[in-house]
Amino acid sequence: MSRERILAAARAALGRTAPPDAAAIRAEAATLLAGPDRGRPPRTGTLTERFIERLTHPKVGGTVEQVAMLTDLPRAVRAYLSTNALPARIAVQPEPRLQALDWSGIATHDGVATDEILAVALADCGIAESGSLVFHSAPTSPTLFSFLPLHHIVALDTSKLLEWLEDYATAYTAAGQAQPRNVNIITGASGTTDIEGRLVRGAHGPGFLHVVLFGG
Amino acid sequence: MRPQIGFAALALLEQAGCTVEVPAVQTCCGQPAANAGDAGGARRIARQVITAFEGFDYVVAPSGSCAATIKVQYPELFAREPAMHASAMALAGKTHELLSFLWDIRHWQPQGVALAASAAYHDSCSGLRELGIQAQPRRMLGKVDGLELRPLEGSTVCCGFGGTFCVKYPAISNAIADDKARAIEATGAEILLGGDLGCLMNMAGKLHRRGAATRSFHAAEVLAGMADGPAIGETA
Amino acid sequence: MRPNLPPFQERAGAALRDKTLKLAIDRTTGTAERNRAVAVAAWPEFQSARDLGRDIRAHVVNNIDHYLVEFERNAVASGAAVHWAATADEACQIVVEICRKAGAKSVTRSKSMLGEEIGLPHALEAAKIERVETDLAEHIIQLAGDPPSHIVWPALHKTREQVKELFAASHRDPGAMEDVEAMVQAARRELRAKFMAADVGISGANFLVADTGSVCTVTNEGNAELTTTPPRVHIVTAGIEKLVPSTAHAMALLRLLVRSATGAELTQYTTFHTGPKRPGDRDGPDEFHIVLVDNGRTKMLGDGLAEMLRCIRCGACLNHCVVYRHIGGHAYGGTYPGPMGSVLTPSLDGLPASRDLAHACTLNGSCQEVCPVKIPLPTLLRGWRDRSWREGLEPRSVRRALWAWKFVATRPALYRAVSAFAVLGMQLFAKRGWIESMPLAGGWTAHRGLPAPASSTFMQQYQARKRAAK
Ligand code: SF4
Repeated sequence: MSRERILAAARAALGRTAPPDAAAIRAEAATLLAGPDRGRPPRTGTLTERFIERLTHPKVGGTVEQVAMLTDLPRAVRAYLSTNALPARIAVQPEPRLQALDWSGIATHDGVATDEILAVALADCGIAESGSLVFHSAPTSPTLFSFLPLHHIVALDTSKLLEWLEDYATAYTAAGQAQPRNVNIITGASGTTDIEGRLVRGAHGPGFLHVVLFGG
Repeated sequence: MRPQIGFAALALLEQAGCTVEVPAVQTCCGQPAANAGDAGGARRIARQVITAFEGFDYVVAPSGSCAATIKVQYPELFAREPAMHASAMALAGKTHELLSFLWDIRHWQPQGVALAASAAYHDSCSGLRELGIQAQPRRMLGKVDGLELRPLEGSTVCCGFGGTFCVKYPAISNAIADDKARAIEATGAEILLGGDLGCLMNMAGKLHRRGAATRSFHAAEVLAGMADGPAIGETA
Repeated sequence: MRPNLPPFQERAGAALRDKTLKLAIDRTTGTAERNRAVAVAAWPEFQSARDLGRDIRAHVVNNIDHYLVEFERNAVASGAAVHWAATADEACQIVVEICRKAGAKSVTRSKSMLGEEIGLPHALEAAKIERVETDLAEHIIQLAGDPPSHIVWPALHKTREQVKELFAASHRDPGAMEDVEAMVQAARRELRAKFMAADVGISGANFLVADTGSVCTVTNEGNAELTTTPPRVHIVTAGIEKLVPSTAHAMALLRLLVRSATGAELTQYTTFHTGPKRPGDRDGPDEFHIVLVDNGRTKMLGDGLAEMLRCIRCGACLNHCVVYRHIGGHAYGGTYPGPMGSVLTPSLDGLPASRDLAHACTLNGSCQEVCPVKIPLPTLLRGWRDRSWREGLEPRSVRRALWAWKFVATRPALYRAVSAFAVLGMQLFAKRGWIESMPLAGGWTAHRGLPAPASSTFMQQYQARKRAAK
């Protein structure tokens, strides 16, 4: 009922006499984004440099380290635990490549608890422009892994770095591609400016975000 | 209200090589009606203005908001009357605010004008946002010997005048004007300059009520070397 | 408009007398203004990006019928249930009905101005469903029983001292709360268990992506995902204008939205939700409902307010408005305050109750200057003034004064005579150049001196000089 009413009202207001021409509309929408770097901010340095620069900017507030290979991740996590004096009990994302790593010396579980201290995850890709990490929900990648822990350690393959936000859209959401249930684009640790406009970390999501870059 | 601004404008335009006439049939640009929502009334006055200025090469107003009313509002008022719209566009095209006209069109610069004083400049909103006036007055004032322009924090923030707004919502207007006056006082400048009498009267009135010693002039008065007499609100 | 409100002038007056309010407003809007300025300065092409923002949004508004149908098709294909609501009441009924069917006792909500617009908090209360606001600011105003006062920072009217008192009085474990960090931690502890216990999570939408059927939400706290992931049911309420053609278009707009709102490059959490839980997923809702709400939007489209439908709710126009910064959000009386609210409220709540809003503006143009989608807010406000005049809603005193002024202004000789007479008359009230009070000028002289005019007008002096020269 309301569906037809709303559509009819919209068509009347737009003065449509014929049904909209879908192909023409699609073409017009595409033209809007055409042209080299239309509506993109300036950039400097290499892809990885830009990513690191954004991620560690005070506005984003992430920390970063670079290792050679994914197999170096457990060592990085151990160092993080000892630097921050955290218990050696962590959640590891049920992602086969992470589960296959040598976690000796740390008690791991593959579910994430409501009051989880630290969770380790593998990002699907990263976006240099904003210093963002992208996660696709999947049986091997539960969404809450990114939101419940206090410390979030994320491994990212540098070959999975993309330049612009639009590049992500082109690579992963092109027509016909199945969309994950959730795409979480995460840019820094959780924060709020709700009390007097001042930025405070660790509002509801993780208070600390540490990225371990590997490869490249 | 302050005839001297008119005479300063006359003098400046003549220095800039113009022959100036002040048609006696002009009254007001009609802004009060347009801003009150009385489009019909505004159109009546606009018609009168359009006719009054038909034969001139340029129409120059020493006020950003009057010039903007003619340049921006008139064409909108006659959006549905093609013939009048064309006349309104023609008038809009040749209408200018005084300070930008002097600098942008006539490439005029003050020569041998002096005023030993420190000044703060307020950017009136209509001139700034509708006509892009910001650099021109500062450039010209920069060539006045002895005049020191001091940066005014929030110089582009509205002073709370807003035409009839200031009498319809006096309490809000006052709060805004008070912030502006504080910012002006904080510069420690001896004089306040601007390009719109309405805003200047508002700020001068607020400064006066606050007991500040700041004196207020239209920038044209300074440029025409006429700022040696009483400031806005002062007696001879 | 909220019911039983005193007139606008009284609301504004009360706000102006509240010095704590001014302090609170300045703290947040001042920070936002500075941070935005830094972000804009770092992006020389920002102005052309605003053109792009305007073009994308205008394209959507001009083809809204097409995009609604495309979005619906793709959302349904992803397993979402799409509902359509023509009015606020209908939208609330749909949401309450879904909650009832789910046997919901408790719902979590992630901040949504549309939810406020349609009165969803009240509808849930009336249905006796516990409502837990999860956005920190919404949590604060829920405790205080206040309506939001800003579209990005709903609790901007509260100082940290006031927040501390509220938390101390209502949290189970508030702790000492020696600083803002500790207050944020107190809220985190208070809400954590509620996130996991809720039966239904309700969110708004920042964008509806037509070609994927996805709903995009942005938050900095992470509360949207904690609201929408654990419960069995996720309900999205979204205005029909929230559409974008594709994810790439959403990205281009996000750049503008976030910089304009907070000065950051991107919000901490930008999430695209597409349908319910999939086979094998360990979390996510079993049901995913999207309620598309018109509530006057198609009317705005046909009523000369199409440009307003471009709005992406960034709040920059509020932060840069001198009036908002002095009276705050509540004085406006509607769901949306500031310049964008003054355009929307007459449309949502009727012009007679809100005619003051379009007039309580100096038309200084700052709002339009910062709007990331270039909405000509002053022009739209003028449109409401015109309409109010045409519909005879302007007070008699204003009409009379303007009539008298027009009578004079359309008669040049009379205008010259009256001006000459007026300046003489005003002399009677002047003392050393200033008029400190004068009949009919109380609005001016209550707060500032009125510079006395010269004793003759420019026209008189000009003509005298011309005669002398001959
Ligand atoms: S009107 Fe423009 S500036 Fe104001 S909230 Fe909407 S998008 Fe932002």
